[in-house]
Amino acid sequence: MKNPDHANEFVIPISYGSTEVIETGKWGFQKPQTVFMTAPCQETCPAGNPIPQFLYFATQGKYDEALRTLLRENPFPGVCGRVCFHPCEIDCNRSQYDESVSIKAVERYVFDATSDHLPDILPITNTDSKQVAVVGSGPAGLSCAYFLALLGHKVTIIEAQKEPGGVMRWGIPQYRLPKSVLKKEIQRIFNLPIEIKTGIKVGEDLSFDELTRFDVVFLSPGAGLNASLFIDGEDLKRVRKGGDFLERLNSKEKVILGKETIVIGGGNTAMDVARSALRLGSKVTVAYRRTRAQMLAIPDEIVEAEEEGARFEFLIQPVKINLLKNKRLAVKFQRMRLSDLDQSGRPKAIPVKGKFFTLEADHLITAVGEQVDLSWIPQELIKNGLINVDSSSMIFAGGDAVDQPRTIVTAISVGKKAAISIDLRLRGESLDKVFSKIKVGNKGSVSMESYLSGRDEGKWPEPKGVILYDRINTLYFEASKKINMRKLGFDQRLRGFSEVSCGLSSEEASLSASRCFSCGTCNYCYNCYFFCPEGVISLDPLHQTKYVDFDHCKGCGTCAKSCPRNVVEMKEVS
Amino acid sequence: MRDFLTGNHAVAHAVRLCRTPLIAAYPITPQTAIYEKLSEWETSGKLKGIMMRTESEHSAMASCIAASLTGVRTFTATSSQGIALMHEMLHFAAGCRAPVVMANVNRLLAAPWGFWADQLDSLSQRDTGWIQFYCENGQEALDSVIQAYKIAEQVYLPAMVSLEAFFVSHFMEPVDIPEQEQVDRFLPPLDLPHKFDIDKPGFLVPVVSSELYRKYKHMAQISMDSVKEIAVRVDQEFKKEFGRGYGIIEPVMLEDAEIVIVTAGSITSTARMVIRDLRKQGHKIGLLKIRLFRPFPREAVQQALRGKKKIGVIDRNISLGSGGIFCQELRAALIHSPDRPLTYSYIAGVGGTDVTPEVIQKIALEVMNRVDPFDQPIWVMEE
Repeated sequence: MKNPDHANEFVIPISYGSTEVIETGKWGFQKPQTVFMTAPCQETCPAGNPIPQFLYFATQGKYDEALRTLLRENPFPGVCGRVCFHPCEIDCNRSQYDESVSIKAVERYVFDATSDHLPDILPITNTDSKQVAVVGSGPAGLSCAYFLALLGHKVTIIEAQKEPGGVMRWGIPQYRLPKSVLKKEIQRIFNLPIEIKTGIKVGEDLSFDELTRFDVVFLSPGAGLNASLFIDGEDLKRVRKGGDFLERLNSKEKVILGKETIVIGGGNTAMDVARSALRLGSKVTVAYRRTRAQMLAIPDEIVEAEEEGARFEFLIQPVKINLLKNKRLAVKFQRMRLSDLDQSGRPKAIPVKGKFFTLEADHLITAVGEQVDLSWIPQELIKNGLINVDSSSMIFAGGDAVDQPRTIVTAISVGKKAAISIDLRLRGESLDKVFSKIKVGNKGSVSMESYLSGRDEGKWPEPKGVILYDRINTLYFEASKKINMRKLGFDQRLRGFSEVSCGLSSEEASLSASRCFSCGTCNYCYNCYFFCPEGVISLDPLHQTKYVDFDHCKGCGTCAKSCPRNVVEMKEVS
Repeated sequence: MRDFLTGNHAVAHAVRLCRTPLIAAYPITPQTAIYEKLSEWETSGKLKGIMMRTESEHSAMASCIAASLTGVRTFTATSSQGIALMHEMLHFAAGCRAPVVMANVNRLLAAPWGFWADQLDSLSQRDTGWIQFYCENGQEALDSVIQAYKIAEQVYLPAMVSLEAFFVSHFMEPVDIPEQEQVDRFLPPLDLPHKFDIDKPGFLVPVVSSELYRKYKHMAQISMDSVKEIAVRVDQEFKKEFGRGYGIIEPVMLEDAEIVIVTAGSITSTARMVIRDLRKQGHKIGLLKIRLFRPFPREAVQQALRGKKKIGVIDRNISLGSGGIFCQELRAALIHSPDRPLTYSYIAGVGGTDVTPEVIQKIALEVMNRVDPFDQPIWVMEE
């Protein structure tokens, strides 16, 4: 309304000017600051996978970004999304709330959803590039080569087999890891300038000394020798070694088994052998000298072997194998019992005096451990049957041939650490100092992204702390169920070597990813934005930026209180 | 159409007929029937507007203000504790010049608790800058809501229509429900000059300087004063369209009266009968009904009471430490009248007590017998 006495003025108290001239931010004595932390899943992942970050992109359906995020720390998302023992899901903060996030399944989905194309991964510019030889192309060797190539070094892989991949290529059966998946991962790695010489065995085709023409050598030959039972009858034709058996299957050789097979061992190789034998039509009995609780195999593998019909006999150990007239084997077993703990913290299995029994079978396959072929390794690099390198030399080593847990993801992690160590050694930097900065939590993982962020200036920020469950503002979350991957039916499984896990549907993947609490990071939930009474917070998920207008932030702390992940901290200002 | 309606439902009909697009309210006895009726019509599609079910009366009023500032007609209904909770927002509505219309069912204010008729709830809000009407019955409540929109939307000030709990809100009476076409003819669609414009963002209720604050208040006072004239005009237009009118005050048998009883709201109906009877007995007595309380129709009251000897004001309210609020206003209005009458303040009907013809007659006779000025409020209790 125009007031009659003030013909040109409106009577409504409205201002069309901006209130921004009033710098209310100066009234405050504290300001919000995002303090990102390491999620326990990421800390536990030996490869230090940026799990909340990749799940964030997966929630958005941005699978290319999710893949690139994973590839910053791990060149094998397709393999790990299938065969990793996923300790991340055990330490997932959400498991204390309802059930953990299906991290492994979503990782697999990210790979599967993007497998029709290769992402562009570019090495950094390295003016001081060196020549590195990597001996062996299993997960450790390929990981090391990948990260060295990213760091701009010239890598030559020397591989004794006719194809790269190591245990992923020759050990793990197709029903757990289809070769097409491995092929794509390897293809992506070799998009980087990495040279490979296959069919070259160091010690035969090339002497160890000849490796010294490289600036640095990384040894990752794996553990390819099958451990022996050291019992009578072990050399019978119908007694086979697990590693050889799996390698023949993975070479597409025709392998025939009789009606009944006994598998000796309790590790992952034993499970792979048992389940492969079931697929070849044989009945399988797994014989293990300790009990189920001490089995080293991934628990899921044991369950699946059981589902498929493998019978387990615990606390028995073969002592003699006889060939019967009908060409079947009679295996004499010693009954065992558990005793004191050994060095690895597991109870020892010791014989029960005088207790024996015999099982008959058509075949027996041993899977009682793998050993490293050290025949070509100089004596000074050998310790306790493993490779042990001097921490100051230009020879590095990793994978199953060194003293470390024998898992794919550990090998990947060691490959990455070796690549960083090599780069540091070549630059004359202190390894310990840098590793203390680029660590991901306190369980041994390191971050390549952190390393790269400080590499140019030789300065790294302090590592992030780990965010525990009690810091999560769980009021903002609704309870929901974990989504597991569907599996093939038992009948279908035993008909061949088709992959058992069917993966997630796109809806399941996005739902699973969205269950992530995004511990210690920002997933642009907009809580701070909505709750900020001053409207001074701007978020741009597209460019991953956050902005607070400090000229107008009064420091009330509402954003900090309302952050479900508690990554906003109020810092006092003078 | 003529129907047998409660005062609450009569109000609901008015809101529907005014095509109010936004109703924000919170239920409270004895107003809830308005809320319920409008909700029912919203569901059936009879009401074209939206019912916003807010979490409090404070929010209801805030919603009405915001919606009004987007340029739409708004309505809320409340009572007693509800209007008390709204208090802060009542000032905002007037200060933002939002022509919100509200029905307030006059109910006593706690403590102690009760639901009965008493005007203190709305009279306590007299300084908030709202236009206030007090209605005698359901028909007047219906008509006053329609008139309130037309007045409020000309002066950009909010308007409150009060009807007493139960005596008006729940009593059923025959009520004329106007036709939609008539209301459409009478009440044009709302067109506010100052609605929010996303192309020209503005910041409402900015901090202003002392001088500017004074200017806003001064402008509002000028607008408020103009209501007296506009309300008379609107009432005349209403009478032309609907055949009924009320005036801002209503003099009853005043011409030769020496003594005048002043009432507001439902007590007026009873008083009409008592005055008629006293007239028959030969007493020179009249009645003055005050319908518009804010702005107080000072000039009209002065004129109506010119030359009267004694006035008795009946108040269904008490301003503790002072007296009946209508009486205060009336005394102030007459202060400069020549030969001003003696004015007595009677407190009757507080807390919903019944003001029977006997009570009113007793007051009238007492005024007749009084000769000296008396400042104190006089409480009238049942025998």
